[in-house]
Amino acid sequence: MSEVPLRHHAKRVVPWWLLRHETMLALILLIALIVLGSMNNRFLTLDNLLNQGRLTTEVGLIALPMTFIIITGGIDLSVGSIVGLCAILLGYSWKVLGFPLPLAICFSLLVGAAAGFLNGIVITRVKVPPLIMTIATLALYRGLAEGISQARSVRGYPEWFYFIGQENFFGVPAQLWLLLIAIVVSAIVLDRTTFGRTLYAIGNNETAARFSGLPVDRVKLIIYTLSGLMAGLSACVLVSRVTTTRSDMGIGYELDVIAAVVLGGTSIFGGVGTIWGTVIGLAMIQLLKNGLALTGVKGDATIVVIGTVLILSTLVASALQRRREGV
Amino acid sequence: MKLALAATFLGATLLAGAASAADKRWDGADDLPVNPLACSAGEANAAPAAKPYDGGRPTNAADKAGKPITLVDVPKLIGIGYFNATSKGMQDAAKALGNVTVKTDGPTEAKIDEQIKFIDNYITSGVDGILFAANDPVAIAPVLKKALSKGIHVVGYDANATPDAREWFVNQAEFNGIAKAMVDSMAKEAGEDKSFAIVTSTFTTPNQARWIAEMWAYAQKCHPKLKWLETVEAQEDNNLSFNQATTLINKHGDKLAGLFGMTSVATPASAEAVTKAKLCGKVAVVGLATPNAMKPYVNADCVKSVVLWNPVDLGYAATYVMRAVVDGSLKAGATSVDAGKLGKLNVVNGSEILLGSPFIFTKQNIKDFDF
Repeated sequence: MSEVPLRHHAKRVVPWWLLRHETMLALILLIALIVLGSMNNRFLTLDNLLNQGRLTTEVGLIALPMTFIIITGGIDLSVGSIVGLCAILLGYSWKVLGFPLPLAICFSLLVGAAAGFLNGIVITRVKVPPLIMTIATLALYRGLAEGISQARSVRGYPEWFYFIGQENFFGVPAQLWLLLIAIVVSAIVLDRTTFGRTLYAIGNNETAARFSGLPVDRVKLIIYTLSGLMAGLSACVLVSRVTTTRSDMGIGYELDVIAAVVLGGTSIFGGVGTIWGTVIGLAMIQLLKNGLALTGVKGDATIVVIGTVLILSTLVASALQRRREGV
Repeated sequence: MKLALAATFLGATLLAGAASAADKRWDGADDLPVNPLACSAGEANAAPAAKPYDGGRPTNAADKAGKPITLVDVPKLIGIGYFNATSKGMQDAAKALGNVTVKTDGPTEAKIDEQIKFIDNYITSGVDGILFAANDPVAIAPVLKKALSKGIHVVGYDANATPDAREWFVNQAEFNGIAKAMVDSMAKEAGEDKSFAIVTSTFTTPNQARWIAEMWAYAQKCHPKLKWLETVEAQEDNNLSFNQATTLINKHGDKLAGLFGMTSVATPASAEAVTKAKLCGKVAVVGLATPNAMKPYVNADCVKSVVLWNPVDLGYAATYVMRAVVDGSLKAGATSVDAGKLGKLNVVNGSEILLGSPFIFTKQNIKDFDF
């Protein structure tokens, strides 16, 4: 553990911000944009880029609290299942229990937060490792979603509900505003508040953080609850975009989210990471998928290309980091 | 306080889940009306009342009548035998027509969200027409409507979307027709008063749900003594299907006299499970599947009937329908459409084109098919 403070020290004496993971990634993204844009004249249109923003919002909303969690050295694999559970409860409480839709939305958000809270409480009180706990709730929440819905899809929501998922607000997809606000708030919280700095402290050395009198358990509880809440919000946006509720919604989201966060330079071992890295990671994955599809690369080949690019950009970034640290 | 609140919520959620899970026999209920056919084959089935055209229309589509067109085909997922077969049919039709280019592309898993993204990207990249097989009839509708609004022609096959989101749908076989063929075969092979179980993909897959709902309705009407044990989910996953079928065999023992496989993956896996359990002849397997996957079991007398249509023909017909739509020869109100080697296909149900009755593969005819 003694190397950790050293590394941070090294970071401070080398003002090579240019060689930060995020900067490198931004450069790679820029190159990818230029290459893909030159291969297809419909890729770099405002219309297409905004539309890609619309499509990435659901994953993006969850990736923000996931950045917090991974910075503390934790993980939340249950987010995709929470999306499914919240989507089902939104539809179920509205259609079957007869809640007014605004109340149903609040209810599903609350359940999302409660689902995250349950993760957090078991992780902090019972000391179950986050990986184990959230694998368990990944199965549990999905099972609940399927049990409650009994495979009945809920459809026919009122028109106004489709605003957040399908309409534009000042020319920009409505949900993208939501994501932008969430990004700004998360970035400020992570970078400018005691709470944010506590996350890094926990990730670097949890025991030291506890001895420093930081409220480690409370902070963890908050971020897992937040993760559940944002998964609930993501579910509402998703239901509004695709106009129908199904119990298989959000399957596999955890992997998309974690891929974006880790690609964005957040260390899976904790202690390192930024919101803007996550945002670049998100944009990188979404635009690569889109750009490759537009240039005529087929779906299965796209996955291979993206996997390769992810490995390469991580290799480049970590090689640079090692050079920077003089290892 | 906070903990108590959360506990209450989760408790309530768990209870709701448990309460609804207590309703065991899932009968494919999707709250849509069922229409079981008459019991004996001889009886004439009342012809459905002619419905006016209820499909959508593209706005300001470019006039490409007789000109080369580029199509994209987005099936539920790629890389499985069934959609490889529909894709082959499309390539055959493209070759026969000479002025059509079709590319098949789609998600590697049957997920609504992924499929929507693929279609969205093809709208941006610009194609003349989109052929689709929907993972969800309603969820796919907004993106298909977007395609129509950009002047792109939209024709569905295999699994429909809401009618106003596409122009035509090529229906491989009507749901109640499939249900009748399946249940009649089962009653004949297993016995009128025996018990059976179903292995399906997922409860949310629309085709499978509709078939099961129709099977339930038809069985109640025509084979009321058949007993329905349970329906299990197995995704479109070979291993899982085999495990689920084996679990059913172990769980119900002698009571189980028949297994329905609802997908081209579940049926061969169920037949394999029955073979491995050495129950050939004791547990009947009836299901939807492609002939190549079923040949070993049919030739070994473990499976007597495989129900399906010809997916190569389905893709072939969909491509001809798309060409006819672009050429303007298939318009609202038409009663039939020319589909090359398949001859004339009839328009049913307003804006659907029927491929024909379901086909039953048996030991006698299965060797004639290769897909």
